[in-house]
Amino acid sequence: MQRAAKCALRPDLSLVFCPSSVRNCRAVNRVNGSVLCRRYSVLPPPRDEEEKAMLDSMLRVDHAGEYGANRIYAGQMAVLGRTQTGPLIQHMWDQEKIHLEKFNEILGEHRVRPTLLLPLWNIAGFALGACTALLGKEGAMACTVAVEESISEHYNSQIRTLMETDPERYTALLQIIKEFRDDEIEHHDTGLEHDAESVPGYFLLKTAIQVGCKAAIFISQRI
Amino acid sequence: MRSPLWLDMAALVRALRAGRALRGLGSVAVQGTVSPQCRNARRGFHCATLLRLADDSKSGTSVPPPSFHEVPTAGESSSSSEPSEDGQPNTSYQDQSGEHGEDYETEEQLQVRILTSALEFVPEHGWTVEAIAAGAETLGLSSASTGMFNNGAGDLVLHFVAQCNAQLADTLAEQHNLVQLGQAESKEMAEFLRDAVEMRLRMLIPYIDTWPQAMSILLLPHNIPDSLKHLSTMVDDIWYYAGDRSTDMNWYTRRAALTGIYNTTELVMVQDSSPDFEDTWVFLDNRIKDVVNMANTAKQVQATGEAVVQGLMGAAITLKNLTGMNQRR
Repeated sequence: MQRAAKCALRPDLSLVFCPSSVRNCRAVNRVNGSVLCRRYSVLPPPRDEEEKAMLDSMLRVDHAGEYGANRIYAGQMAVLGRTQTGPLIQHMWDQEKIHLEKFNEILGEHRVRPTLLLPLWNIAGFALGACTALLGKEGAMACTVAVEESISEHYNSQIRTLMETDPERYTALLQIIKEFRDDEIEHHDTGLEHDAESVPGYFLLKTAIQVGCKAAIFISQRI
Repeated sequence: MRSPLWLDMAALVRALRAGRALRGLGSVAVQGTVSPQCRNARRGFHCATLLRLADDSKSGTSVPPPSFHEVPTAGESSSSSEPSEDGQPNTSYQDQSGEHGEDYETEEQLQVRILTSALEFVPEHGWTVEAIAAGAETLGLSSASTGMFNNGAGDLVLHFVAQCNAQLADTLAEQHNLVQLGQAESKEMAEFLRDAVEMRLRMLIPYIDTWPQAMSILLLPHNIPDSLKHLSTMVDDIWYYAGDRSTDMNWYTRRAALTGIYNTTELVMVQDSSPDFEDTWVFLDNRIKDVVNMANTAKQVQATGEAVVQGLMGAAITLKNLTGMNQRR
């Protein structure tokens, strides 16, 4: 009853979940009908401090990750936006925007503190996206491959943790993370399809970016 | 020879932890098919180790602690009718907070009771161990039970702060519910903040004469982590119910601003001698107006900055067009 009243008081939520620029996109229609447009609470009420701390740090790092991914795509678009790869990067960026929107909502509702280093991820993400895009389309794709691989590995480990703890308790959260992980893997595969591996120094670049991502994940879980 | 009360309590808490660990092992072992005799024997073993302080154990104990009341040992008969899983919470005669029966309580609950009754003696004795001792005596316990409190007066002050914050959170939650149900008007953010901080500070009025002592106790190095935690949860609660759902740096700036407002207003309040602390509320009002003004100014600066950047981008694109650099790659 409380939730119905809250929904009635808010403006049309579909505008929040599915921004108009995205609504026409084919790939997004799959997501429209999914868990993103439901209005129940994603997390169960925490039963003790430990669980709250664990969920807090998981959601904090996920939010930081999506925020960083957003900024990386923004950087790539700033350089390659008016080239042939522009629409492709824009499409992937739009999906990341949806993910970020969802995490913003979860954080606000469940009173999770966002990471203090958001301004740092803002600048670092944009710089990473712009610099790799300056290496050309292959560089941007290589960056996408590296980042998406890190993120999907990270989501997988979170899924494993939640499944080991109590899969029934976290069904809604697991569903969201699984969906997002599938999207990230799709981006990874798209990057590979578009000649990511043909950038000079691919392995060096990929390793460097993945080390950076791991460090970012480690820090964001704590700070 | 009876050992002192606090030794018993320490032993009970240790046994409780050991019992919990054993119960965890026992429930894993019991997953498979276990014969009823084995099950009861294991339960009996748990009974001996788990003293009555366990949350969801339902059996009686062998060693009654001296100052606590007995729980009727109806454990065995009811537990044999339980299904196979060991340690399953039985809600029929336990309430959810973990008490076993009406006469039973944990160490933490006893401490809470003592500290709550000690608050009455604070105007007389100040925030000291004497107040705690006097509180314990009203409950019929010896004044030596102050030995339970390692932090002495710090425990009393922290308990009071936690109690006030809990009361504030409850009131704010009730108001929030009323607004959700449409039975009350939602307030403007500035007005809401003002009312919430005023409500919280008014809880200090009965103790305002001794409050400087309490503040200095909260500033002791070993109390700072706890007092900061209480302060931050209170500020987070107020912002949450004020409607803040931000997930960027605003989260931090807003809470920092409100912490500053609260602390300065508290300081003004302890040396305020006006009737009903009017000067304090006027000060609070002005501080909140300042913060709101600053936020509005920041928004204006950002909007102006964005407009300037747009203008510069437009100029750059015009230049590129003029020089013929703006071509599709």
